[in-house]
Amino acid sequence: MNDYWTFLLDRYPDVLRAAGEHLTISGIAVALGCLAAVPLGAYISGDRPGWVRTTVFGIANVFQTIPSLALLAVLIPLFGIGLRPAVFALFLYSLLPILRNTFAGFRSVDAGILEAARGMGYSGWQRLWTIQLPLAFPYIMSGIRVTTVYVISWTTLATLIGAGGLGQLIFSGLGVNKEELIFTGAAAAIALALAADLVLGKIEKAFKGGVVS
Amino acid sequence: MKKLGLAVLSAVVAGVVAGCGAQGGSGGDSIKIGTQTYTEPKIVAEMYKALIEDRTELTAEIVPDLAASPVVINAMKENEIQMASILYSGEIFNGYFDIEQTKDRARVMEQAQAGFDEHYGFTWFDGYGFENTYGFTVRKDVAEQYGLETVSDLAEAAGEMRLGVDTTWLERDNDGYGAFKEFYGYEFGETFPMEISLVYEAVANDEVDVVLAYTTDPRLKEFDLKVLKDDKQFFPPYDGSAVVRNDVLESHPELKEVVELLVGQIDTETMTALNFEVDVNKRDVAEVAKEFLQEKGLLQ
Repeated sequence: MNDYWTFLLDRYPDVLRAAGEHLTISGIAVALGCLAAVPLGAYISGDRPGWVRTTVFGIANVFQTIPSLALLAVLIPLFGIGLRPAVFALFLYSLLPILRNTFAGFRSVDAGILEAARGMGYSGWQRLWTIQLPLAFPYIMSGIRVTTVYVISWTTLATLIGAGGLGQLIFSGLGVNKEELIFTGAAAAIALALAADLVLGKIEKAFKGGVVS
Repeated sequence: MKKLGLAVLSAVVAGVVAGCGAQGGSGGDSIKIGTQTYTEPKIVAEMYKALIEDRTELTAEIVPDLAASPVVINAMKENEIQMASILYSGEIFNGYFDIEQTKDRARVMEQAQAGFDEHYGFTWFDGYGFENTYGFTVRKDVAEQYGLETVSDLAEAAGEMRLGVDTTWLERDNDGYGAFKEFYGYEFGETFPMEISLVYEAVANDEVDVVLAYTTDPRLKEFDLKVLKDDKQFFPPYDGSAVVRNDVLESHPELKEVVELLVGQIDTETMTALNFEVDVNKRDVAEVAKEFLQEKGLLQ
């Protein structure tokens, strides 16, 4: 135990730097994922031809199944190494869960309410902003929360493409027989995931209070 | 998404999970051969699987993709696997037991054999005849531009160069970056630790200027890269050997002869050529392994 403290005292700048990289990569990936998947999910939940939905979900599904190392190898000529390919790969992986939840959220809105709103002269945008979005919000938010936790754990793979992060501690620890490195990297990743979930939970509550009342 | 999650998870707990796939048990009539993630140990594992099943009553099962050599060693220690197709003598520098600091090839091998026998109960066989060590590597055009032949030649330009290395090098004590900076007296502008199978792609795409390659990697040939001579001999020797648990050799004495069939049989060129068949020509690992055994006349 004493040894571990000495190790931490000695290495905490590295650990903090890795945690910072980790958060940056995960954060950008999830933010981009939301920007793309929430509007897309809302769009396909409306009255669209069947093939639109099938195609969108199909593509998101395919992204999800590409093995990570293969994807990263393909991305080198396009995005180089480091932060960009890591973020892009994680962005692709984040699409499906956000999309699916957003879609389910919008689908759950009672058609009768929308019909009534239309009757009262609400425009499409008004219905979206004042009725559909608030009602679908809990679903969307739970999708984002799940995705964030996933992405934070997947970000350990960023180290494969030279982007650093906590995976760097884990993989180098595995490579040089240093358990304290593996433990620190894994524990920090878990802590980050829990903290992110907590923060998002608070945001969800704050918003819900604001929107519903 | 499952794949990704699993990849991380399995990397972290590989030591525990390794080999649990089948019956979890050990010994008996089946021997589990563990390998690291890259091609070389997988080819040799296929050779042993074929040899063992050809010459003994035992069956062999390959447990691939254990994240790194220490994971292989720990899985062997826990008897989750009974054999490693390749471990490298330089592994002794990872702090398994006290060693005498030396870069003498024979001495490092002796220390690996004595140390792992005493502290882990492993038989560390004599080498296959090839070394797979680290080598600073550049594109040929970069070598010409800067007139690079040796690692010392890099000193001047290194400050503005980007270096791609495997995920562990920065962390290694004896032969890692910290020791290197002191030893050669210079450092690189930027370092990118990454998966070794991607560094060659990165240097070929001009994303990094120098990579720290594994010297038997066929992609050195494929991408026409130049390995700089380690003129001050910084890197320790990494001789490849088969390693088997002592208790397994005791209960199956016939295994020893089979393992020894390959001792001294694979030189660096041969190993690189075999890697080339799999990594570059995309041929099946088992097929390449079998072909080698047939050429050597080792299959009965």
